[in-house]
Amino acid sequence: MARAIVRGGGVPSGSAGKQGMRRAEARSILYRRVAVIVILAVFLLPLLWLLSTAYKPTRDIFATPPTLLFSPTWSNFTSVFRYFDLPELLWSSIVISLGSTVLSLLLGVPAGYALARAKFRGAVGVAYFFLAIRTVPPVATLIPFYILMRDIGLLGTWWAVILINTSLNCAFVVWMMYAYFRSSPISIEEAALTDGCNDWRTFLTVALPAVVPGIIASAIFCVMFSWNDFLFAMFLTRAETKPISVALLSAYGTKDISWGTLGALAHFSTLPIILMMLFLNRYFVQGLTKGVN
Amino acid sequence: MAKIRFEDVSKIYADGVPAVDRLDLDVEDGQFLVLVGPSGCGKTTALRMIAGLEDISSGRLMIGGEVANDLAPRARNVAMIFQSYALYPHLTVAENMGFALRVRGQPRAEIESRVKRAAELLELQPYLGRKPAQLSGGQRQRVAMGRAIVRQPAAFLMDEPLSNLDARLRGQTRAEITRLQRDSGVTTVYVTHDQVEAMTMGDRVAVMNHGRLQQVGAPRELYDRPVNLFVATFLGSPPINAVEGRLRAEGKAVSLDLGGSVISLPAETVRQRPALARYHDRTLVIGFRPEALALGSAEGRSLRGTVAYREDLGSHLLFHIDSEAAPVRDPSAVVALGEGEEKALSGDGKAGRLRLNAPAGVALRPGEQVFVTVDPAQLHFFDPATGDALYADSTAN
Ligand SMILES: Nc1ncnc2c1ncn2[C@@H]1O[C@H](COP(=O)(O)OP(=O)(O)OP(=O)(O)O)[C@@H](O)[C@H]1O
Ligand SMILES: [Mg+2]
Repeated sequence: MARAIVRGGGVPSGSAGKQGMRRAEARSILYRRVAVIVILAVFLLPLLWLLSTAYKPTRDIFATPPTLLFSPTWSNFTSVFRYFDLPELLWSSIVISLGSTVLSLLLGVPAGYALARAKFRGAVGVAYFFLAIRTVPPVATLIPFYILMRDIGLLGTWWAVILINTSLNCAFVVWMMYAYFRSSPISIEEAALTDGCNDWRTFLTVALPAVVPGIIASAIFCVMFSWNDFLFAMFLTRAETKPISVALLSAYGTKDISWGTLGALAHFSTLPIILMMLFLNRYFVQGLTKGVN
Repeated sequence: MAKIRFEDVSKIYADGVPAVDRLDLDVEDGQFLVLVGPSGCGKTTALRMIAGLEDISSGRLMIGGEVANDLAPRARNVAMIFQSYALYPHLTVAENMGFALRVRGQPRAEIESRVKRAAELLELQPYLGRKPAQLSGGQRQRVAMGRAIVRQPAAFLMDEPLSNLDARLRGQTRAEITRLQRDSGVTTVYVTHDQVEAMTMGDRVAVMNHGRLQQVGAPRELYDRPVNLFVATFLGSPPINAVEGRLRAEGKAVSLDLGGSVISLPAETVRQRPALARYHDRTLVIGFRPEALALGSAEGRSLRGTVAYREDLGSHLLFHIDSEAAPVRDPSAVVALGEGEEKALSGDGKAGRLRLNAPAGVALRPGEQVFVTVDPAQLHFFDPATGDALYADSTAN
């Protein structure tokens, strides 16, 4: 206030209103920031709680009221290495996520392109049908798929999880890439055709580079879905092929495993995906908003 | 380099309306043909059929003496310049220009030297390493041109390449394209809806309307001898004046009654247009270009009118005058122009609206009465029902 008076000295009276407006603006920014922090807290607290258990001695985990100040311990991390073959779990997760992501993109991107450039009117309907596939409850597909994999001898292998994740994620990729290709100008592809490309080369050298952000966004979604998938991996893998998500949720109560150990294990399950999102955040947001139109 | 020939070519889109209706058109080897017409008349469709980007519903398209209906675009060796330029956004200017050569597997050194030569021609050297997003509209347009000329194609196809440029740049680029085409001698089809480009750029001009070819010819020929009222109105700026008049014949002498004033027609004019004989004592549509009109005095006047408004164009004035002559009663049936143009043609519907150019010093104000003289040798006559121009006794030639 004092500053306003000093500065207001020789200024015509109109500027007082302007300054009031600036203050209102500052207040609205403040409100917005507070709202963001509250919302973030609601979403992040459970996760932070879980991760924090990793650093607590066992007796602090169940303390009521919860202890906010505790002397951190690394013992839970040493138990993780004692009870779990962490490299193998991570390797399984990576193979399954990347395998199904690569397959989903290989199938879904060309299919999305074909739909986007199809000259028949039902193309939009087909694209939404693909999206609908992704909304089928995963449990509903599990049993027939389980039997199918058993009969063709893939049960227990990475392939089983990769294939079912691909079938669902690929549908999502088709829909998302359909939207991306639709909003990419067709005239550059026509230019490529008159410049001497065949359809295939046009797709590879001109259409694809124009939708790189969409491909990255699709890939992020695929990795995320597969990395976090618990249900399929739980039923379709064996001990040697199970990913970290399965280990995380099925380990409690076996052997001597405590909540603290699981909290430590959760670091290895969540941090890679969070890091990926931080790096590729730009594409992720684009992917979310592109589908809207 | 090749000759392009449409033989009875039609294009019917899914909605059933023919976008191009039985088009017969020849573009000679090395010729610069301008395809002009109002929006939606099928120009782009015709051009895309040449490029192979649009299927042909019926008829034959010949390129270089071969039937091209079912050839893939890449087999036609034509270079297209799109209205949006359609530059490859992920490639640099140099890569954009060399793209077609790379696709054809030309050696790298050859590509580089040809891109360099084209860049010099178009003054694009400073930008070769930039992406299209980092260029101005005019520079993008030149890159699109460069992409076409490095190729030495059988034909250039250009779809309104200047429509995204401002007026000054448009004038400059117009001359540049004309020069490039003359130098390279490549057959060119140039689509525009701008009648100035049509008049100034082409060896020949083809005027289309509603998917139909109206007339083909040298620009001067179309301007001086339009086959119908549509062509007459479309070419020329400001557009031709059109009013209704009645033909009177007394013995050999034929005169024109313009609602209060009578102009006697020169014998020469009548002799050249035997078709007029069928219109004695009938109403027809008379067209005269602004340059056929002049401000006059009460004696020897052709028409009387009131100044509706004046536009100061710097070098001269453009007067809009409501005359005593009757406006064209059903301009939509005859002219089929856009709504604004119909209005300009008919004025307020009561008086025949005339446009005339006058020297910058003329001090007439809106509302003042004026007298206008018409040069009877520069009159155009049209059938009021069909809009066909009346020359020889058969239908218009
Ligand atoms: N893909 C399409 N499907 C259906 N109709 C179309 C299609 N493309 C064009 N048309 C129709 O065909 C007609 C001719 O279109 P075209 O694009 O050739 O016009 P144009 O002369 O190039 O017009 P403009 O000067 O506005 O570019 C129009 O009536 C248009 O609505
Ligand atoms: Mg067009």
